[in-house]
Amino acid sequence: MTCRAPTLALTLALALALGAGTFAAAQPATPAPPTQPTQPPQPQQRQQPPSYSAAALYNLGNADARAGKPGAAVLNYERARLLDPNDPDLEANLRQVREAAGLAPESRGRFDRFATFAAPRILAWIGLLGFLIAGASLLARQLYPGHRHKLAASAVAGILAVVATLCNAIALWPTLHEAVVVAHSAPVQVAPVLDEEPSFVLPEAETVRVNAVHDGFVLVQTRSGRAGWVPEANLALVVPKH
Amino acid sequence: MTIVSVVLIAASPQFAVAGLNPVSGANAGAGATAGAASAAIDATLEPQQIALGESARLTILSSGNGTLKVPLPVVAGLEFRVVGESRRFQMINGAAIATTATIVRVTPDVAGVFTIPGITPKSPPLVLRVTPGNGRTGVSPDDELPGRTGLIPGKTDANGIRLTPDGSAFVRLSTPKHEIYVGESIPVEIQVGMRDGFAVSVNGLPKLNSGDFTLNNLSRQPERVEKAIDGKPFTVITWRSLLSAIKPGAYSLTFEAPVTVRIRTRPQRESMLDDLLGDPFMQNVFGATVQKELKVTSPEAAFTVLALPVDGRPADFGGAVGSFKVSTDVSSATTAAGDPLTLRMHVNGTGNFDRVATTMLGSDGDWKTYEPKSSFNTTDPTQYRGEKIFEQPLIATHPGAQTIPAIPFSYFDPGTRRYETARTAPLTVAVSPSAADSAAVAPPPAAGSSGTPVDATHGGLRPDHAATDAAVDTLVPLYLQPRFVGLSSALALLFAGGWVALRRRERGTTDARTRAAAQMTETFLAQMAGASAAGDTLQFFNTARSAIQHVLGARLQIAPEEITAADVHPGLGDDSDDLRQLFALADEANYAGRSLQPPDFERWTQIVRRRLTREIAS
Repeated sequence: MTCRAPTLALTLALALALGAGTFAAAQPATPAPPTQPTQPPQPQQRQQPPSYSAAALYNLGNADARAGKPGAAVLNYERARLLDPNDPDLEANLRQVREAAGLAPESRGRFDRFATFAAPRILAWIGLLGFLIAGASLLARQLYPGHRHKLAASAVAGILAVVATLCNAIALWPTLHEAVVVAHSAPVQVAPVLDEEPSFVLPEAETVRVNAVHDGFVLVQTRSGRAGWVPEANLALVVPKH
Repeated sequence: MTIVSVVLIAASPQFAVAGLNPVSGANAGAGATAGAASAAIDATLEPQQIALGESARLTILSSGNGTLKVPLPVVAGLEFRVVGESRRFQMINGAAIATTATIVRVTPDVAGVFTIPGITPKSPPLVLRVTPGNGRTGVSPDDELPGRTGLIPGKTDANGIRLTPDGSAFVRLSTPKHEIYVGESIPVEIQVGMRDGFAVSVNGLPKLNSGDFTLNNLSRQPERVEKAIDGKPFTVITWRSLLSAIKPGAYSLTFEAPVTVRIRTRPQRESMLDDLLGDPFMQNVFGATVQKELKVTSPEAAFTVLALPVDGRPADFGGAVGSFKVSTDVSSATTAAGDPLTLRMHVNGTGNFDRVATTMLGSDGDWKTYEPKSSFNTTDPTQYRGEKIFEQPLIATHPGAQTIPAIPFSYFDPGTRRYETARTAPLTVAVSPSAADSAAVAPPPAAGSSGTPVDATHGGLRPDHAATDAAVDTLVPLYLQPRFVGLSSALALLFAGGWVALRRRERGTTDARTRAAAQMTETFLAQMAGASAAGDTLQFFNTARSAIQHVLGARLQIAPEEITAADVHPGLGDDSDDLRQLFALADEANYAGRSLQPPDFERWTQIVRRRLTREIAS
């Protein structure tokens, strides 16, 4: 009876992972219309959740850039980069739009480049597979002591895959809490109240970190470290909240 | 120093003290009087600018030990009337000092700038500005709606004003018309008038008393003006809103507003004070009023609500009622096939913009279209007037000169009482072949770092991608999504369960071994005890050696019978010498027949017991 439990756990784990993979593969592969993600929720659209694809967001960013909307363009490029972080066209266009808007160029460090060597979606499955391999290897090591060295190597490989996923999460975490200035300019105030003199103004397409939200205002922090409250309508979150 | 103050108030001739000489007529000449010589005089005028029909207050302050006669000024066009006097006595170190305040109401007969000469030769002159209308707010004389025709409290006048019975407040509804269509929005004004001095505050928003109408977009910041109504100063607060009817028929409605007013505490006919002091300020000063909350209701307003006609209703009519104009423009007159454009449709005018909707352009062979989104621009707080802009993304599917057709927009115009259909002008867009099509016939353009051609037609942007990748419903990375986290957690739980099961199995095996070993130990020790009791040396040592062989065999993973004295090396413990001697004694007993005395049996039994116990514990 007790001998069967680890085997049963392994079988169930494999079944869960395979089932999840099958479920993921069965997700609709229909490309999203290019304008859907940035549209405000229309009454007839509320029943359907928005859908995003890297190419559609990239195309939408191009359309916004051509229409002279650098804020919306940067927003859509940033969103597309979340789904496809290694698109050189996207990087080039994002750099160009930011430069045209008078913003400093972005620089990605070694860690960021390493951690985003693949799309988060792929890394998620790699991490899950690694977790499965590591767990199964450690369990099998108990069952089959004669193969403990091979199983230990297998467990290490699995753990490395999990670490790769964790690194990707660490690299993307700041982006998940960023917003882009989509208004022509966004006055930044010391306090989240109306009719207060702005302490400084954020230019359109500037990317800021969101620290808090209060009563229609967002507490933001720029990459240079300046902080203040901005009216919510002037910003758009890179990862919208549904 | 001791200070004692006593205040005496004279409100009328009957209550006058210290020689007040009241005046009941216009410019009666004699003013407040006081006697004695050592008195200081000061005069203030508030406010210094009023509208015709309003009054200013002149306060003459005299202080000193004696009394002084102060004549009222005489100015052509101004009426001076003493309405009261107060006196304050202060005892300072036994000396009484009196301060007398004489309050004079100044009422202009005509508009203009008046200079009131100084009360004493040393006093500076005072200036009073009187505007034709309301000087402080710039309201024209036309705003004095009831005029001086006499507004009777409790009765509705021709301008729709009905004062409360005490004359302190009113609520008035102002509408452009009284015949409207179902769904039509008409701008209305709700005015709450409060007589200065009587009404204290408005305690809430005006409320519509009818279930047949809806009130939308009530202005957040009401307009506040001061008006003279029936010659009396009123503060009028005006809200603007949109009124819509729900169903056809003849209906009436009223508005009510919660107001705090001051109510007279005594019947007017019983109060000589009130007879003299018609001014509410003075009534309040003399404590003749108390505050009370009232709900002030407007007169009933009757409306005829008409149903929208069925005949001639366009198929695309969406409920817009008003007067509108439409136009369209496109984000660029030139584009490439496959590149998105934005078509904007502007609907401006007046009406119920919340019902203004359009599907804009439908997909056809030349254009791929998407759902339009709308925005509303207005400076009108009621949103009755403004511009609604619809933006629709378009993608040209074929190169060449493509036409965006006219877009119809139907609405009902209550002015003409019929449905109207406005149409935009068609637009022409020059569509060039797409980058992919061009690549087949044109030489390759300049390449970027990745080798992707640069789209030189759009400021160096790299071209669009074919949207063939899978769509996701959220931008949150998969590993942070709840479903995925749940799956990972389930796997972790399964592995933890498997590990726990393995540990339990190992523990069970160990326990069984321990129990077997303990049982074996007891058996061996029992046999040794039996041999010891019988004095059987051979049996004793054979059993002892066998017991040691079993435990060492299990430890060294060797068959018990293969364990010899040579295998008992010092690393097996500090009793290894004893064990080797035990093995030698066993051989000696077997082959030489050596016998032992009872103390020796006991010693060897203790040695064997210790070793067995230690091996079981480990």
